[in-house]
Amino acid sequence: MHAILQWSALVFYFAGIVLMVPSLVRRHPSLSPAALGALGVGLGLHGSSLAVRAVNLDRLPVIDVQSTLSFFGFLVTLAFFLAYLRYRINVLGVFMLPLVFVLTLISALRPGPSFQSVAFRSGWLMVHIACVLVGYVGFFLTFIAAVMYLVQEGQLKSKSPRAPYYRLPSLEVCDEIYGRSLMFGLPFLTLGILTGFVWAARMWHGPWELDPKILAALITWLIYLFLFSARVSGSWPGRKSAYVAIVGFAVIMVTFVGISFVSGWHGYLPNLGRLH
Amino acid sequence: MNLALVGINHRTAPVEVRERMNIPEACLGEAVADLAHRDGIKEGLILSTCNRVEVIANAQNNTAVEPMIRRFLADHHHCDLSMYEPHFYRYRQQQVIEHLFRVASSLDSMILGEPQILGQLKQAYSAARQAGALNGTLNEIVLQALAVARKVRRDTAIGTSAVSVSYAAVELAKKIFRDLTGTTIFVIGAGKMSEIAAKNLIRSGASAIFVSNRTYERATEMAQAFHGTAIRFEHLFDHVQKADIVICSTAAPHYVILREQAEKWLAARKNRPMFFIDISVPRNVDPAINQLDNAFVYDIDDLGQVVEANKKQREREAAWAEEIVQQEVQKAMRRLASREVVPTIVALEQRLEHIRESEIERYRGRLNALSAQQREAVDALTKGILNKILHGPITELKSGAGRPEQGSLVQMVRKMFGVVE
Repeated sequence: MHAILQWSALVFYFAGIVLMVPSLVRRHPSLSPAALGALGVGLGLHGSSLAVRAVNLDRLPVIDVQSTLSFFGFLVTLAFFLAYLRYRINVLGVFMLPLVFVLTLISALRPGPSFQSVAFRSGWLMVHIACVLVGYVGFFLTFIAAVMYLVQEGQLKSKSPRAPYYRLPSLEVCDEIYGRSLMFGLPFLTLGILTGFVWAARMWHGPWELDPKILAALITWLIYLFLFSARVSGSWPGRKSAYVAIVGFAVIMVTFVGISFVSGWHGYLPNLGRLH
Repeated sequence: MNLALVGINHRTAPVEVRERMNIPEACLGEAVADLAHRDGIKEGLILSTCNRVEVIANAQNNTAVEPMIRRFLADHHHCDLSMYEPHFYRYRQQQVIEHLFRVASSLDSMILGEPQILGQLKQAYSAARQAGALNGTLNEIVLQALAVARKVRRDTAIGTSAVSVSYAAVELAKKIFRDLTGTTIFVIGAGKMSEIAAKNLIRSGASAIFVSNRTYERATEMAQAFHGTAIRFEHLFDHVQKADIVICSTAAPHYVILREQAEKWLAARKNRPMFFIDISVPRNVDPAINQLDNAFVYDIDDLGQVVEANKKQREREAAWAEEIVQQEVQKAMRRLASREVVPTIVALEQRLEHIRESEIERYRGRLNALSAQQREAVDALTKGILNKILHGPITELKSGAGRPEQGSLVQMVRKMFGVVE
């Protein structure tokens, strides 16, 4: 059932992305109602697919790489709607939705073997995973705002405006989205890491502190903590912070996807993530 | 529909001819009433702006409408039109609709996408309406033109980017500071140019303004005009860092704002950017400041470059707009054509039905012998014959709708079946 819902969501996402294109090329003041409608239906179906899965599993459907990707994709779409309704920036769609589509597609194509490890029954773990993912969504927005800022700043400095100049929001708006998403993401990541520690300390025995994924997560956290303090003190110009935010998101990507395959404890492969 | 347009515009006629042919707003109603009351003319519209004078008329089918318009223009201006002959263009039927749609959408304007023409067309429309000169097909076409113009504005960005230097500055400021509400302007050198720039920024929402000038009185004068604050030139540098937008236009032959100063201000402002608009020649703001983070320096040539880029953007958008106009012209033509055909079809059906009924009436006596069932059969039989006969001409009329030969086809069918208007 959830697979059917997920595939239908994909169809609507695809339609929404295609319908979005003319609004962008032709610089309409807002996305067409058809595009938003299709994306909204897609979001609803995607949400229902996750809900069905959650009821079946009796827990948050984040039990392997595939389901986590789908859940993350859902959160990103939700974030897109919130950001779009607030700022009406059409290009947000280009930045956010193709990623959602790809993540959800990967998830739909390879429904991985769900592992019935007792570990995943723990409430702490669910909170841990959910918080980290929500934090990542915030930082994804930070990343997008940083890219938009850099491109628009480049346009303004160059003095010969091209296509992006007309389509991207002002520096002030980019900066505002950057700051807000950063302030949103950081508490969630912090909470996610803390709950992870609590859970690991209770359940794992052994040198889990040196797990590559945990180390990468700590690096991520330090990067965003640094950006946060730079922002609060106002000592760093937007351009430099934007570069760091891009690096920060690259580290997240590596942490999220890459290290899963080398980490013993966090590996999403069925025989790993074992209890000692 | 028998439409014609005679007109001149900024491309075909020099300003002397345009002003000679101009029909001022005050006598527009009177003029259009005069046009519409001429023999054979049903409707009229006069669009007269500084860039164009266009007269449109819709006349009865057998009227030579174009000479009528020319006579009207000659009468109105008391002149011999042949003198100005090479400047005039003329359009007929579909061309009139297409031209009007393009004009309304500002595709025919001197500055592509400028918004005034829409207002001018609305004025022309209401003048003609009030004069009773619009009440049929032309009325509908003008309303459609206004709708097409709105659609073009909505679906393309033809009117969005600034095409004058002072608005380009406002637009750039909005790309740095979102809307300008809450921004502070600092004017250094209270000249005419900086006044215009400041006025546009304030109109777009900038809230506070400081003015500094070598002669303090001039600064106070301008500051008062904008409800701002005058700053003595000696104290200038203590205050500049408060400003988000600095407009510089002094007669100084050297840089007034140096890189080191800007660095200090920017540091003090933390992460808030500064936008320097340098409209003085020789330049007053060190262009090297543009390399600093959060600082943007535009001199007069840079602004010109932005205007050029914006114009190119408008041209690209105009290509989209032309497509929209073409689609709308086709739609309008189809609507008009089918509407011209419908009355003929109805009249044709009524005519034949009338013949059928009167023939049945004639044979009533002999038909009385028949049973009710048989009479019904006769009815159905005669109706069937009529429908079979009508099928051919009606299909022909419908499929001919919108094609150039439609008019003659309608005339022919009417003649053949003895249908009178």
